[in-house]
This record gives sequence, C-alpha cells and structure tokens, in this order.
Amino acid sequence: MSIINSTFKNLQKNKSKALITYTVAGDPDLELSEEIIEEIINSGADIIEIGVPFSDPMSEGPVIQLAHERSLKNKTSLPEILSLSKRLKKKFNNTPIVLMGYFNTFINSLNSDNNFHDINDEICEELKNSGVDGLIIVDLPFEESEVIFKKLSEYQIDLIRLISPTTSELRINEIINNSSGFLYYVSLKGITGADISSYEELEKRVQNIKKITNIPIVVGFGIKDQQTAENMSNFSDGVVIGSAIVDMIEHIKTKKTGNDFAKLSKFVGEIKSSLQ
Amino acid sequence: MKDKENYNFPDDAGRYGEFGGKYVSETLMSALEELENTYENLKGNEEFKNEITEDLNNFVGRPSPLYFAKRWTEKLAGAQIYLKREDLNHTGAHKINNTVGQVLLAKHMGKRRIIAETGAGQHGVATAAVAARHGLECIIFMGEEDIERQSPNVYRMKLLGAEVCSVTSGTKTLKDAMNEAMRDWVTNVDDTHYIIGSVAGPHPYPKIVRDFNSIVGVELKDQSRALFGRFPDKIIACVGGGSNAMGIFYPFLKDNSVDLIGVEAGGSGIETGKHAAPLSDGSIGVLHGMKTYLMQDESGQILSTQSVSAGLDYPGVGPEHSYLKDSGRVEYNSATDEEALDSFHDLTKTEGIMPALETAHALAYAKKIAPKLDEEEIIVVNLSGRGDKDMANVAKVEGLTL
Ligand SMILES: Cc1ncc(COP(=O)(O)O)c(C=O)c1O
Repeated sequence: MSIINSTFKNLQKNKSKALITYTVAGDPDLELSEEIIEEIINSGADIIEIGVPFSDPMSEGPVIQLAHERSLKNKTSLPEILSLSKRLKKKFNNTPIVLMGYFNTFINSLNSDNNFHDINDEICEELKNSGVDGLIIVDLPFEESEVIFKKLSEYQIDLIRLISPTTSELRINEIINNSSGFLYYVSLKGITGADISSYEELEKRVQNIKKITNIPIVVGFGIKDQQTAENMSNFSDGVVIGSAIVDMIEHIKTKKTGNDFAKLSKFVGEIKSSLQ
Repeated sequence: MKDKENYNFPDDAGRYGEFGGKYVSETLMSALEELENTYENLKGNEEFKNEITEDLNNFVGRPSPLYFAKRWTEKLAGAQIYLKREDLNHTGAHKINNTVGQVLLAKHMGKRRIIAETGAGQHGVATAAVAARHGLECIIFMGEEDIERQSPNVYRMKLLGAEVCSVTSGTKTLKDAMNEAMRDWVTNVDDTHYIIGSVAGPHPYPKIVRDFNSIVGVELKDQSRALFGRFPDKIIACVGGGSNAMGIFYPFLKDNSVDLIGVEAGGSGIETGKHAAPLSDGSIGVLHGMKTYLMQDESGQILSTQSVSAGLDYPGVGPEHSYLKDSGRVEYNSATDEEALDSFHDLTKTEGIMPALETAHALAYAKKIAPKLDEEEIIVVNLSGRGDKDMANVAKVEGLTL
C-alpha cells in the first residue's frame, strides 16, 4: 500500500479528515521554504503538496502567481526541489509528499534526452529516489497521460487527478479509472484563491462521486478558514489549503524568529483541529 | 515529407504528429469539447457557410486583391513580387477572417461574452469589431508593454465597446495576455467564448483558426491560376503564432512545386538569444495547451522574447508549424528588427503601402532572396496587415516624436 493510501486509512480509523497544504518550493527561498514545510507538518498537516514554480502558472490566482515569481527569482529548479523532498522524507517518512506543477517543467528539467518529451523511466526513478509519492500536473488531462499514468504506477507514484464542476459524468468515470492516491475536487470554476459560491451543489457532486469510487476525494481551491474547511470535510475525505498559507508566507522574510512563523503554525493547527 | 499525399492533420486527438494536443486544466476540457463538437457539426452546414461567406464579402471586404509590387520588383531586380493584400481587410489585417467565424461559433453555443488576448492589438480590434456587430460583451487582455507600443489599437478597441484589460504579470506581453485570458475563461466558462487569435493553444483552436484563415490561400490559388496560369514558386509569410502563414500555406501543402517559407522574428539576431523565433532556435515543450517548439531555458521555464513587433513577440508557435518544420514541407527563417524596419520603409516608399511591422519580417526575407532569383519566378508575400498602428512605435525606435 502506498503511503498516501495508508495515510487516508489511518485518518479514517481516527475519524479525522486529511489536511493537505500547498506551498511553493523556493518561496521565499529554498531553505526557508523547507523550514516552513517542516513547521506545517509539525503543526498537523497530513499530506504535503509542494508547488513546482513555473513561469506561466495558468491556473493560479494572483497570490500563488506571486509565489511562483518569488521562487523563480531565486532560480529554484526541479532538481533542487527533489533534494528538498528527499531531506523532508528522511525527517518525516510517514508524511506523503506530492509535487504539484505544470507539465513542461517535468518533461524539460529532469530529462537528459532532449529528443524525448514525456515522463520516462529516468524521471520516475529520480522522483521515486527523492521520496515523491504523487504528482498533480495541472495541465495534463487523462487524454494526454494514459501512458504516463501506467509508467508512474510501475514506480508506485500516484497520479492525482483533478475533477472540476464542469467535468461530465462520462469524464468522471474515465478520470477515476486513470487515477490513484486521491481525487482532487476543484471546488469552483476558476483559479486558485477565488471564492466558493455554491456549497450545496459542491456537496452533491462530491457525494455522487463517492458513490462510484473508493478513492479518497479531497476538496481544494478557495478554502481559506476553519469554518469552510470544516464544512468541506463533512462530505469529503479532506481539504487542500493553498492561497491562504501562501499569503502568510509572503510576509515571512527571515528564519523562525518573529510572529509570522507562529501565526502560520497556529493557522495550520486550527484548521487541522476543525477536521477532527 | 513522406505522407504529404494524405496529409490529414490534426488527428482525432488533436495532434500534428507529436505536436498539438490538449494540455489544459480539467475545468476547460468540457469547453474545448463543446467547441469542437459545435465546429464539426457546423462546418459542413450550408447555412453556416453562407453566413460566413456573407460576412467575409460584405463585412470584411473579401476577396483581397493580389497586387503586383512593380516598382519594388524592379528595384530588387529579380523575382516578381506579388502581395496578397490582407491589409485591405476591414480592421486592417488577416485576423478578422478568424474572428468572423469564431463569433458565429460563440453565438451557436449561446455564449454572450467574448474574451481574447492580443499582442499587436490587431486581433483585439478584430474581436471587438465582431463582438460589436453581434452585440456581445467583449474583454480584451493585453500586456502592459504592448498597450504602450500599440496605443492607437487600444483606443480603437475601446471605441468598439470592448474593455481592455492591462496584464501586468510575467513579461507583460502576448504570452501573459494569453495566460490571463485562460484564467478568465476558467472562471467564466459557462457564458464565455475565448477567441484565440492564432493557430495556437489547445485543440481544436489550431485547426479552427487555420480553417477560417485558409480563405487566404484558397483565393490565392484562384487568383494565381487566373493571373499566371500557374501557382507561385514561393509563398512567404511572417510567423508569430502562425495564423496568417497557416492560412496562406494550408491550401498549398500538397502542391510540391510551391516553396512555403515562414519568417520568424529575429529580434536583435538569433545568435544574441534576444528574439522570438522558437522554430529557428527553440526546443520542444508544452505551453498554452499545446506541445510545440518553445523558447525556454534548461529548467523548462519560458524565456522572455524580444521583437520590435508586438504581434510576433511570442515564445511559442502553432503546433502545425512545428510539424511542418520537422517534416521539411515548410522552410522557416527569421528576419531581425533592423531588417524588418528597413523593409517597412522600403515598401512604404516604393509601393505606397505601409505594412505592419509583423508583415515587414516576411517582406525582409523576400527582399533578401528576390535578387538571387530569376525574373520568371513568382514570389507571393502574405501582406498580413497594415502599419498605421506601428507609426508611433517606428518613430520611437528611430528616435523621433510625432
Ligand atoms: C498584421 C499581423 N501579422 C501577423 C501577426 C502574427 O500573428 P500570426 O502569426 O498568427 O499571423 C499579427 C499579430 O498580431 C499581425 O497583427
């Protein structure tokens, strides 16, 4: 069983829901982002999503776009992010690490073969050796990645798929058949950090998906506070918090000192407690 | 090219060989599917075809003339140069061929809001015009830098009732305008149609935009038969995203006697790295929903581009061009800022036609090769747009104020 699966099993046993956090590697710099993630894990996060910065993050709202820009100012690269992942895995071997990013960085920064533009054994091996448990590739629908899905599963790396409010029933079935780890339900039509409009619709959609699959399903995009997190967790297996955390990181300039770190861990702790 | 006899791209997956595809977030997949179905259902429909022809004839002013550049030909003392006058279209460029068609698709899908990205502003103006004509809400995304260098077009869009949204993220040019348009689209996907302005983006856009622009090549075939009794020897077009080039090339792909030449923006020179020529000096990757040649660094980050012409200042290119480059059917070259400016003046002074700076890149390449060719040979340059929009920018580059 993958660590992602066992994490969800354990949470179910304890009648708790997953808290998944998103931060961008290299924001504000690589070292600090590592400390921030450690702090977040110590404060109660169950799964860590590490954002891989891209020059053209098309699905991100302003807050996360700025984080990508800050990270790229430091020239943060995927190989560096893999080293970061490796170090984290050593310290927290039970916490799943999921990389979230855009397809181009995966196919163009790990591959030594310039004539190949896909995810191959070489890349899978590097990911596996770095303790990466799953990938979320925002701009890679299942149509473009059946082969990639199979390849990753040979290495027990989960390919986590997004389902959105516009996904048809037919597509939902296809997506379920081509995904592993967990499903990521995008709570709204829009970009990260926007506001959720209709809870009832959301709940109905998630419950319908739960009827046809056992893969855990988490809700993300637009969850900014305890109350929303709690509401979402009532009908899902967990929540993803991104923009709200990244927004706090924007103010973190130095090491552990200062209020900003404390604020962040308090926030993460509170969200986690609302999911119990 | 081995399979040119049965050239039939894109395939069902929206691919041109390795290139193309649909690399977008899940939220947009249903919208792309809807667009594809609508287009496939309508494209053979007589009523729809008539509607488009009617607009092309009476709103755009087609067919566009095939003009003999007599004095320029004499000056260059080589091959005969003809110009396919897309600059004479309503709104001043080939871009309107596409927007006239796409706005009808939008109406058939029941969308009431139109969005578009623009670089030079020509696609923005062409979109704003059709939106006005059909009474649809229109929002144009344009990089802050382009708003500055193409200001007359910004005002034209506003006069046409569009809202112009200044994009300040990233490099503040065309690619960032496209990112922002995509972000708007995922947010408003229910009632909004995104009119992409080139043969770029996820499938089915490269195909739809190519098909709507193919009228240029189709007319040219008829005109050359009538005028020369044969096809031209060479057809030259500038390549930004590649829509004017694809439009004039596509009907000729199977006619091997015709050399097809695309000209990218060489900026300060390919060797300087400061250019916008992914086919000449790029590598394969994925951006804006398509797999294609891109300008990127070794970490897969998209590089900022440089060109005097806003409409060519884009780090990617339509996927069909990537295929045509690799297959060898089309030859791709580049012209520098300096060469483009030189031809801009040349054509203006010799023929009384002021070309767009984008178009001037194609002209620069014609100028380079014409003197080496026999006077029996015929070159057609796709005169993709007129240059009024560029006057302030040209003056600025040359240190003048208007
Ligand atoms: C006159 C003109 N020609 C060419 C282009 C480049 O676009 P494409 O390569 O899609 O024809 C533009 C784009 O703005 C344009 O305005």
